[in-house]
Amino acid sequence: MASAHRKPRNAPHVPSPASPELISALEQTLYREARLLDQERYDEWVEMLAEDIHYHMPGIETRYRRDRTDQVHDLTRMAFYNDGLGDLLKRLARLKTGTAWSEDPATRFTHLITNIEVETTERDGEYRVFSNFLAYRSRNERDQDTLIGNREDIWRESGTSFVLSKRLIILKQNVLLSKNLNIYL
Amino acid sequence: MRFERFGNEPGYGSYMNLKEGWIDRQIFADQHIYEEEMYRIFARSWLFVAHDSQLPKPGDFLTTYMGEDAVIVARQNNGSIKVFLNSCPHRGNKVCFADAGNTRRFVCNYHGWAFDTGGALKGMHEEYCYDPGDLDRSKHGLRQVAQVGNYKGLNFATFASDGPSLEEWLGDFRWYLDMILDNEEGGTEFIGGCIKSVINANWKFGVENFIGDAYHAGWTHDSGTRAMNNGQPFPPVDMKNSYHASVNGHGYEFGLEGVGDLFLLGRPRVMEYYEKRRAKMAKRLGEMRSKIFGSVASASIFPNVSFLPGISTFRQWMPKGPWQFELRTWVIVNKAMPDDIKEEITKGVMQTFGPGGAFEMDDGENWENCTTVNRGVITRHEKLHYRCGISRKVEHEVLPGIVYQGQYNDANQRGFYQRWLDMMETRNLRDLPARPEPRLTGVAETRDVPGLFAL
Repeated sequence: MASAHRKPRNAPHVPSPASPELISALEQTLYREARLLDQERYDEWVEMLAEDIHYHMPGIETRYRRDRTDQVHDLTRMAFYNDGLGDLLKRLARLKTGTAWSEDPATRFTHLITNIEVETTERDGEYRVFSNFLAYRSRNERDQDTLIGNREDIWRESGTSFVLSKRLIILKQNVLLSKNLNIYL
Repeated sequence: MRFERFGNEPGYGSYMNLKEGWIDRQIFADQHIYEEEMYRIFARSWLFVAHDSQLPKPGDFLTTYMGEDAVIVARQNNGSIKVFLNSCPHRGNKVCFADAGNTRRFVCNYHGWAFDTGGALKGMHEEYCYDPGDLDRSKHGLRQVAQVGNYKGLNFATFASDGPSLEEWLGDFRWYLDMILDNEEGGTEFIGGCIKSVINANWKFGVENFIGDAYHAGWTHDSGTRAMNNGQPFPPVDMKNSYHASVNGHGYEFGLEGVGDLFLLGRPRVMEYYEKRRAKMAKRLGEMRSKIFGSVASASIFPNVSFLPGISTFRQWMPKGPWQFELRTWVIVNKAMPDDIKEEITKGVMQTFGPGGAFEMDDGENWENCTTVNRGVITRHEKLHYRCGISRKVEHEVLPGIVYQGQYNDANQRGFYQRWLDMMETRNLRDLPARPEPRLTGVAETRDVPGLFAL
């Protein structure tokens, strides 16, 4: 697989250290988001998303190290998610119809969020937040899977809290070893 | 073929009666039947291996599977395509571990045996260890498939040297394929990348769903349809003006309303694009095909490729034992489309028929449970019902194939399993029956067919 995260291109900005208070506030934000996703509280999750969010999880082929194909940043390539807010709302609308038969009984979710790092960016009030996730799903009797990967977010100050304006998700599987992604990471 | 499977027939016909309309569930569960499918169907069928656009330059390659045989598909310096086993003839190790790329050599990690992009053995580590007479390099290249063929950008390969040509294999189904492959000058291309997922279901459930199961759409996908289109339900099906068409086990189910699948994609700009092109499409492919394209439709190419014209997902169901398949999906677009339309289609496909898509999520769940229940030995011997619309066969003056009226039908599924049975039971592929007798024999280009087919 391609290296998960390259240095942001054309970014001479040298991040200054984030304060412990800021780190703590963003950690709490990520944990709260994970709890909302665990509980399928999607309306409240959407409140945490910026109007201009880009939510991206590229499909990454296995390629040799010498291969220069940009599988992460080339947005014309195939992706599990390459969504704006309107796109995410459409996906979420499926659950509200009452006829998403395969979502009833509900899937049981747990998101574990770790390795949180916070950097300032060239924009005031916007922070780059790196994290790792382990998301566990269990359905019906014994159906289960585990999704593991890295995230690179941009969180923006909004009033007294933060909204997510960018998320890049790198899932560490070539073949998705699951039948679907009825989950947000 | 170098192996002999025929002579002691277990009688695969006992697993189904397609005139009565039932199928025994054992064909979705039994390990022995699965092994025979690999020999009799996958080792003898023309199998899709690559779209031309995935291999634009010499040295471009991708890896895939023919049945469970790992193969490399590579573009040669002369522009042709070669397909050979991804397995070194020395100890059998794989010689390529990438999904795709560009190379001059495939080199085995084990002893350094090196092969060119045509699969010929060119050298190895410490060559002096082989004395004269030990190794004939010309006989130790990577094992080639028997035949490679191309139909309008789709490359197929087969391990069978004695079977029908690709043109005969596809037969009159080319008339239907051209609606997705040739509705605009310049042909088609795949968007870069491939999304792969695993579904714990028998491979035939995916194929038969796309070959004819319009029936499930309005129920299974009610939630997806409403999600993609501001709460609007699945468009009504006109049972008089919709059809199933089956050719040699391939199948296409469709309406004539022209907009249903475009609606399901949920991208108004894509719909506008095709609406503007409809008159040109009618000129190119005939009035009938311009009305079929874009309508609620789905299709499969025997044995394991499916696509949705209008929605533009293109997919292959890779068998991984009777209880599992790997789904590989691509997005197919017209080369001539503007970039923003290609982008709209790609996003639309990923929202509908990606693993996180509003439609796909419900399908996998169904197929898994259709499969896993057959672990129960009593359940496994129960018959499944495939009789829907069995008396609605029609002779149609325009539509080729075995045609049934009414999109809600099991006709194409019956056609698929008839071909499954033909392949399982026919010893010599030259005796494989045409189903039905072709109308387009000798016709190289379906656009050129005058009168009857150009209506």
